[in-house]
Amino acid sequence: MSSTALATPVRTPTDVRPPRRRSPRGRRILKALPKIIVIGVLLITVVYPLFWLLMGSFKTQDEFLNSPTWALPETWTFDNYIEAWTTGNLGTYVRNSILATAPALFLTIVFGVAAGFALEVMVWKGRGVVLLAFLAGIMVPGQMILLPLFTIYFKTGLTGSLLPLIITYTAIGLPLTVFMMATYFRSVPREIFEAATLDGASIFRTFRSIGFPLVKNAIFTVALVQFFFIWNDLLIALTFTTRSDLRTIQVGLLNFTGQFGQVQYGPTFAAICINVFGTLVLYLILNQRVMKGLTAGAVK
Amino acid sequence: MTTAAKNVRRRVVPVAALIGAGTLLLTACSGSGDGSGGSAPTEFSYLSLAENTAVQDTLTGLSTGACATQQEALPLSITTQPQAGIDQQLQLLGGQGALPVVFAAGNSPQVIKDLDSGGQVLDIGSTFDDLGIADDIIPAAKSTIEALYGSQIVLPTEFNVEGIWYNKKIFADNGIQAPATWDDLLAASDSLKAAGVTPLSTAGKDGWPVTRLLGNYIYRTLGPDAMQKVADGEAKLTDPEYVAAAQAVADLGAAGDFGPSVGSIDYTTAVNQFVNGEAGMFYMGSWILSVFNDPAQNKIGAENIGFIPFPEVEGGGGSSDQLAANIGVPLGMSASAYDEKVGDWLTCIGDNFGTDSLKNQGVITGFTVNTPVADLPPLTQTIQDAAAASPESVLWFEALFNAKATSTSQTNGSQLATGALSPADFMAKVQADLGN
Amino acid sequence: MNRVLGDWRAITILLGPALLVYTLVMLVPILWSLGYTVFEGNPITGFTFVGFDNLAHLFTDPRVLEALVFTLKYAFVLTVLQVVFGYLLSLMYVFWLRRASGLVRTLVFFPVVLPTVAVALLFQKLFEIVPQNGLVNSLLNTVGIPSVDWFSSPDSAFWVIIMMDVWRSMGFYAVLLYAGLVDIPEETLESARLDGASGWKLVRHIVIPLSLPVLLSSIIFSINGTLKVFDSILALTNGGPGSATTPLTLYMYQTSFTYGEYGYGSSIALLLTILCLIVTIFIFRSSRRDLTKG
Repeated sequence: MSSTALATPVRTPTDVRPPRRRSPRGRRILKALPKIIVIGVLLITVVYPLFWLLMGSFKTQDEFLNSPTWALPETWTFDNYIEAWTTGNLGTYVRNSILATAPALFLTIVFGVAAGFALEVMVWKGRGVVLLAFLAGIMVPGQMILLPLFTIYFKTGLTGSLLPLIITYTAIGLPLTVFMMATYFRSVPREIFEAATLDGASIFRTFRSIGFPLVKNAIFTVALVQFFFIWNDLLIALTFTTRSDLRTIQVGLLNFTGQFGQVQYGPTFAAICINVFGTLVLYLILNQRVMKGLTAGAVK
Repeated sequence: MTTAAKNVRRRVVPVAALIGAGTLLLTACSGSGDGSGGSAPTEFSYLSLAENTAVQDTLTGLSTGACATQQEALPLSITTQPQAGIDQQLQLLGGQGALPVVFAAGNSPQVIKDLDSGGQVLDIGSTFDDLGIADDIIPAAKSTIEALYGSQIVLPTEFNVEGIWYNKKIFADNGIQAPATWDDLLAASDSLKAAGVTPLSTAGKDGWPVTRLLGNYIYRTLGPDAMQKVADGEAKLTDPEYVAAAQAVADLGAAGDFGPSVGSIDYTTAVNQFVNGEAGMFYMGSWILSVFNDPAQNKIGAENIGFIPFPEVEGGGGSSDQLAANIGVPLGMSASAYDEKVGDWLTCIGDNFGTDSLKNQGVITGFTVNTPVADLPPLTQTIQDAAAASPESVLWFEALFNAKATSTSQTNGSQLATGALSPADFMAKVQADLGN
Repeated sequence: MNRVLGDWRAITILLGPALLVYTLVMLVPILWSLGYTVFEGNPITGFTFVGFDNLAHLFTDPRVLEALVFTLKYAFVLTVLQVVFGYLLSLMYVFWLRRASGLVRTLVFFPVVLPTVAVALLFQKLFEIVPQNGLVNSLLNTVGIPSVDWFSSPDSAFWVIIMMDVWRSMGFYAVLLYAGLVDIPEETLESARLDGASGWKLVRHIVIPLSLPVLLSSIIFSINGTLKVFDSILALTNGGPGSATTPLTLYMYQTSFTYGEYGYGSSIALLLTILCLIVTIFIFRSSRRDLTKG
């Protein structure tokens, strides 16, 4: 087994393909027709709403209210984007989202990987209990910890900064990270670590030079899973951002609704497009790993 | 792992006990650290609704204009919270005794009443007396505040009267008179339907535009103390005379007077129907004037819009000069953060807010307009006159409800309009959550 | 060897930070919240001890029953549809599209990573009836069916929520199950084919039994996620019409933060936690039994 296969339990499919059968050209096209139709329908289902979202971002309020929904925008201006960016303060919100997500992600991964190693590779009494305690965190609804946390952050004077978000995201990310990392370490044959320690390596050296490289791919995938969880969070961001200049992009998306319920459709769509297509670019760059990461943890 | 898993069950109990002890310790510690308020504020902090920009803009305007000296001594600092999270935020801040100097009072009047009974809210009535600016709040706003909260604990940064706006042109084209009674309104609706116009544009999806009709109908049939009786437990919403009001609203829906799909019409759509001439009438508060006075949004022209109070119901105990009024989302103030500098700010706000807001935001407030504003749009002038002429105001359906009943009423309002919920069931649901 | 792998100092350093953060920010607040279940009130009005009144009220509150029924119905229907659609897609990837499946997998997966608020707004507009027919009603109109007011009746609103979540998640489950399908040894399939099994028969007798463990774990994973649904319903219907699409999580949030009843809110959370606990224990056990074999 290669180290990649060890680290990411989801096997890449390239090695299990049957040999391709050849058939005459005409028959091949005819045979491919249902395939093309099915794929076509599937892609339209997924892609058309996004296309429509993009079109919506160029429409005026008047077009939203008084023109058919499938109509293309009458003019192609970036007014909605300018409106979304300035009035909607999206620049600040994107910055806040990054400032909250990056440290939380880093801490979750560092703490989670170390804890996963300690819980799975090292031998001590009580590690089952600790692992179960972490697992308990996966099943508790997030709403439950809001009030006590608010009190804690307030008493400790953390309110009014991004720290409550960073700390909460780190903690909420930990159960899944620890659990998934423990799973990955479990799939590494124990003999590797035992051999290393027999050779006289210290435990930290074993962790750094043997354990860490073995699960490097896994760490990357877990990080991506956590990234999307944190980036898309609404509940925690809504509760702990007391100042508008601390708001994250998800909370910011709520900003385009007025006091009596009036909605500025154009800027809302533009803001969503900025969010969605920003995510899309990131996703397309990283998509293979995202898919492996999101699913690998669930399988085990 | 398998060995570890076996150990799990044996080990859970002591661990839980340990953590539980830690919690108690932590709770105990946090209890002693109470009372973070009390120290003099370093900023004139204002927690605003993210959705309401008018008050923010007016305060910011004042800070560079009339209140520049106060700004020097105690700079204004605005934070915002989306409407969806404001009640939660106030509860959390109030629980810490750390309310900002000024704050939007929340979606339900209950929140600030709770804060008040905890002694956290400044008594604005007596403070205004002490500062010698008692005349800065207009009497109508004072009475609305007292009806709503029992005493003067908020600043009326808006004063809205509510009623039915109608399209004069459509009415004239179809020979319809502005309705004076409920029966007139039903007749007008029939004529409008015959003319292919939606009679009463209503944002059923939002719920409250439906229950506003219900509240008004109750006030017209049972008199201005009808909802206070419910709040005091002397009457129940399930009493036949109250259910009859719900029935009247449901009948409008059943007759198609709200137009098709009322349950999916949101605020923006309802306004749009009216200002595009697709609806003959529209029940709304006077905050809508900013839309009516904007030619880009208002396609029928402000001169074509008329205003009538909610019509009288024949044989009812209420009268149509009892205008429904509200004070928007008013501002409360922290009692512990009040000091001389805040008092200076308050004096300046009392003296100038009304004028500034009317001049620059077009918003009618409950503050006295100390400097007359020239060139007011005629429709705004009409409404201000109507408000001034009203001898008595009434509240809205949920005004005296707790948060739970308010939410139940507003989330089920659309079902009442669409007929998915019977009037009796609707009233029973709300009554059940009133808890008295 | 065990001296090094069992070094307490090292364990403390490696595990300490994670355990400390987790305990302070998750475990303590959870237990703290559980403490609220025997109190009534909120931080403004103060708390009064009411014993087990809140827990008893759970059993008589019709809205808890309504929310519980909705939560279970939602979790069941969505789990079935997510897994069935995901499984069909994954079968298609493996046995039909084969090498060409990469792009399709990528695109069908994409909705998974979109922000919930954005997806909810998208679906609100898609199923809209006023001011303009949304895409769905427009399509219905072109085939002669009158527009449907999707969000005004509990049943249709329920199905819009389901459709949205299936749209969002089928790509995820497809990839999840795909990972299980490609693990089926090609020799097993080949020998079954030689025995004359093909098409549906092959799927029925070879593929499904062999992918059962991963199928089972997807089902459990899905149930655990759907029981805790919050964001998507909050953003799409806000629990309406009325309270017909309110899950336990949303009712709990409203009870605590809108109605200011923290004690009762925590009691609802406890009920939900117990529900999830049952499922999670199921996960824990089945993952021990079936999935660590590989």
